Amino acid sequence: MAEPTHEPQAKADEAQAEADETQAKPNEAQAEADEPRVGVYVCYCGGNISDVVDVEAVAAEAAKLPGVVTAKTNMFMCSDPGQQVIADDIAELGVNRVVVASCAPSLHQTTFQGVLERSGLNPYLYENANIREQVSWTHHDRAEATKKASALVSAAVAKASRLEPLEPVEIPAAPAVAVVGGGVAGLRAATDLAKAGLAVTLIEKELTLGGTVARLDNLFPYSEPAEDVLCRLCEEALADPRITVHTGTVVESVEGYVGAFTLHLEQQARGRTVEATPDADSREITSLDWRCEAFRGYGPGEAFADEPVAADDAARALSVPVGAIVAATGFDLYVPPEGEYGYGRLPQVITLLDFIEWLSKQPEGSVPTFNGQPVRAVGFIHCVGSRQVEGVHEPGPNGRINEHCSRVCCTATLHCACDLRDKFPDVVAYEFYQDIRAYGRGHEEHYDRASLANVIFLQYDGAQPPKVVAGEGDDHPVLVSCLDGLTWGEEVEVGVDLLVLAVGMVAADVGNLATSLKLPVSADGFLQEVHPKLRPVEQAVNGVLLAGTCQAPKDVTESCASASAAAAKAYGLLASGEVKLDPYVAHVDPELCEGHAACVEECPVDRAIAMEDYPDGSRKAMVNPAICTGCGACVAVCPTQAIDLSGWTLEAYEAMVDALLLSHSEVSAL
Amino acid sequence: MNAVHYDTLIIGGGIAGLQAALDLADQGREVLIVERQPSIGGAMIGLSKVFPTLDCSSCITTPKMAAAAHHHRITIFSYSEVEDLTPHEGGYTGTVRRKARFVDEAACIGCRQCEYACPCEVPDEFEGGLGARRAAYVPFGNAIPQVALIDMASCTLCGRCAQVCPKDCIVYDQQDELVPVDVAHVIVATGWQLTSAASKAEYGGAAIANVLSPLTMERLLAPHGPYGHVVRPADGKEPASIAWVQCAGSRDKSLGVPYCSRVCCMYAIKQAMLTSGSLPFADLTIYYMDIRAFGKGYEEFYRSAKAMGIEFVKAKVGRLEEAADRSVDVHIENINDRGQSEVRNHDMVVLSLGMAAVPDTRELLPLAIGDDGFIDVPHPKDAPCRTSLPHVCVAGTASAPMDIVDAIAEASAAAMEVCREGDRG
Repeated sequence: MAEPTHEPQAKADEAQAEADETQAKPNEAQAEADEPRVGVYVCYCGGNISDVVDVEAVAAEAAKLPGVVTAKTNMFMCSDPGQQVIADDIAELGVNRVVVASCAPSLHQTTFQGVLERSGLNPYLYENANIREQVSWTHHDRAEATKKASALVSAAVAKASRLEPLEPVEIPAAPAVAVVGGGVAGLRAATDLAKAGLAVTLIEKELTLGGTVARLDNLFPYSEPAEDVLCRLCEEALADPRITVHTGTVVESVEGYVGAFTLHLEQQARGRTVEATPDADSREITSLDWRCEAFRGYGPGEAFADEPVAADDAARALSVPVGAIVAATGFDLYVPPEGEYGYGRLPQVITLLDFIEWLSKQPEGSVPTFNGQPVRAVGFIHCVGSRQVEGVHEPGPNGRINEHCSRVCCTATLHCACDLRDKFPDVVAYEFYQDIRAYGRGHEEHYDRASLANVIFLQYDGAQPPKVVAGEGDDHPVLVSCLDGLTWGEEVEVGVDLLVLAVGMVAADVGNLATSLKLPVSADGFLQEVHPKLRPVEQAVNGVLLAGTCQAPKDVTESCASASAAAAKAYGLLASGEVKLDPYVAHVDPELCEGHAACVEECPVDRAIAMEDYPDGSRKAMVNPAICTGCGACVAVCPTQAIDLSGWTLEAYEAMVDALLLSHSEVSAL
Repeated sequence: MNAVHYDTLIIGGGIAGLQAALDLADQGREVLIVERQPSIGGAMIGLSKVFPTLDCSSCITTPKMAAAAHHHRITIFSYSEVEDLTPHEGGYTGTVRRKARFVDEAACIGCRQCEYACPCEVPDEFEGGLGARRAAYVPFGNAIPQVALIDMASCTLCGRCAQVCPKDCIVYDQQDELVPVDVAHVIVATGWQLTSAASKAEYGGAAIANVLSPLTMERLLAPHGPYGHVVRPADGKEPASIAWVQCAGSRDKSLGVPYCSRVCCMYAIKQAMLTSGSLPFADLTIYYMDIRAFGKGYEEFYRSAKAMGIEFVKAKVGRLEEAADRSVDVHIENINDRGQSEVRNHDMVVLSLGMAAVPDTRELLPLAIGDDGFIDVPHPKDAPCRTSLPHVCVAGTASAPMDIVDAIAEASAAAMEVCREGDRG
């Protein structure tokens, strides 16, 4: 075998060598070298499958297949009693290959592999037949669905009979995490991980930390100053020597895999002097302007230096090796296209964030003014850029409408209207809404408070949004009208001096982080979790976790909770210092390899396969199992069939196709 | 008896407690889960399917239950309660009462022979009282542990279970066992309870047979539920029209529940969708004040319900009355129709009851409790799981009503909070 070139490669090679050894050498201790004895387990899924598929018939058909020693059904195979059925059969019937016909393997493959492992079988002697997503959820005809389920089971049995024991690829994991985004979620995740003992690199594209929350005055529902929350988080992050903060920095590219990612960063030239850490004594300065300046940038080694950064520093590139990545990239505020509710045309039409800043600057005890004009009435329109309706709203720059609810705007708007009425009791407030979604603890109280403070509510239908026109010669510069559901559809028009649009949250461009790693996104454009309940903060790309609003609209509480959850997962992943990867990767038979290098040319992944010099002077292909994604492109082009995929061999594929064709011909003959 | 040491005690083995336990155990910590019921799984294991993915609830809950049960760092005391907790050397000491099952838990193999032999039938609480169970029973099919217990309040001591038990594990004179424990951290994951239907006289005070609690409706909708089909509990008739009354236990000062329970809009929409699958010709109506479909994918879910033909009527239901044919007259003020008072008749009505706090931990720990009965935290924005007491965190609905997605996220966050506190020192 070739000399290792660098450390991870060497480990990976060792793992490959071990894997090869395991595959080459029959393991006497285990039954898998014996004749395959397949157990087939068909799940009712509590009706999810059995409502459409005759589960008992599928099991009866499976029992007739060659190599199958038992075929059983259970209401929930994934439940403990269901798992016990498999464990018992392994112990008592000598079952040594397991096929579970149930939901998609993404849900419970690891659950069932765990049963094999606990029962002393190699977990890779497991095969799934997906008869829920691919059969019962997509077909209605019971007879046809049952036949298709049987066909898929027969293919799975054919494959299972040819499975060989495999060992996971074990790679060392760097005890370090990159947190991308320095808002509340990123700060919270960073401090959690540092407290747990991991090295954290916190990357923020702006020059200041704090994200959108730095632009808020106080936070619903308890009116806690945003500054207090941010100061707590920033002070802890900046004081922790395990956290390195890079502001004004973007991710240029990411390479590698879980346990061994490398982030290539570009830090912009600051061209400005930064001052010392904000401390408790400087808190008398509480304006929003101050805060935007306060949570400013630090580079490595600079966080505790008293010396300000030189004003003439240059842009520079950095590379950071980490074991996991927490995406805390936040959201964008919806920007109304020019003319939506008069935005961009009438100067008195502003967003909720603008309003918060405006209100914080109005001196108490006087008539508030906007652009020098007195403000006596303020309108708030909910759901701007959220809950959009096809055919009513124009698609945004991304070509789609925002069907989603932005979750925070209702309570935020109620909170603002209450603050306005508290500060200026003579100013009239109108809220144009669809449903008031004051869902969280302490939120409904603001709805109550707003009602008691005589905020006037008008309810519109999402398909008929309010109309906004300039008030010409009127008492007020802006006129808002809608068909008000609360007065049973009456057309109501009110004049306001300021119209506030409660703009929603839309998915932010995650940039090169997303493109480098090909991170999946949901239909709403936000980053997609693996499963909202089973793996709510994990991305399909192993080692990438989701914190805060990059996943979906959330308030500060929910962002911090999800950030801590992401930190918990990252820590759990890296705590042992080692990451185990599935061994479904290519392997080369050096006996057959003639050094054509067609595989290297075909391989879509950098460094996954390369030609190595052998001691006998020949050159043969070698796979790095940590990088290989198991796509199989190399298998298809190898002229000598020297490459195959562990766990997905050509022979197994052929057997599956044969089994499917056989059941198809039987189905057709019926 | 020497105290048994664990890193973290988790009070409550519902979905939040289980998730927190799994995260902590994966970090290398020894965890004890104390669950009051005879099985772990909490409220979630009794649900039919869950919004917005319509995954069957069991498919999501049972693997987490099994993973916790099989984890070598997790110990589960089911049918047990924490009796007391006292601060001790940077942690807590306390006592766990392991209630007598009248079955030798270690020897029982869950074969259910005792259950089949038992002559006493009582309403099955897992099925919302719709089915019957025996006095000697395994709580439900997916229960963990798969161990029988005897409900002594219903048992006649006839001795048949002991005769048939192949492992001789029926112990009629078994006593509660008190286990002293010593832990570094505590996570309170005691969950929630339904708001009271009985206290709302206008809705029949829980006395109208065809006015259902939402959890009973979940069991009717579960394919493995008591009837395997949606029928009226009063007479077994297939309902041709079903209504859901939103905010039946929430946003109602007369009930002492002024807050929003956060999950009822979505579960009602989900139940209506599932009903439309099993009874495609039934008329389905949801009476609501505001539809609060705020989570990821929820608004989209709401829209597909509307597209399926489920009728949403903006109206506060004033009164429910039982009609002569045991159907239900629903008195509404219809905001969609000029605020007219109307009486609409439905074969069956589901009350969308809310989430109320459980009093469990108040005597155990001097935690700050809000007016709503839920646990207060000093920094709700940036540390939602950190309580007013050192070494005590809160996970899931013990701190506020929340849905499963949010409860799971908070549970993992609570595990991280424990990790931040570090080891006992």
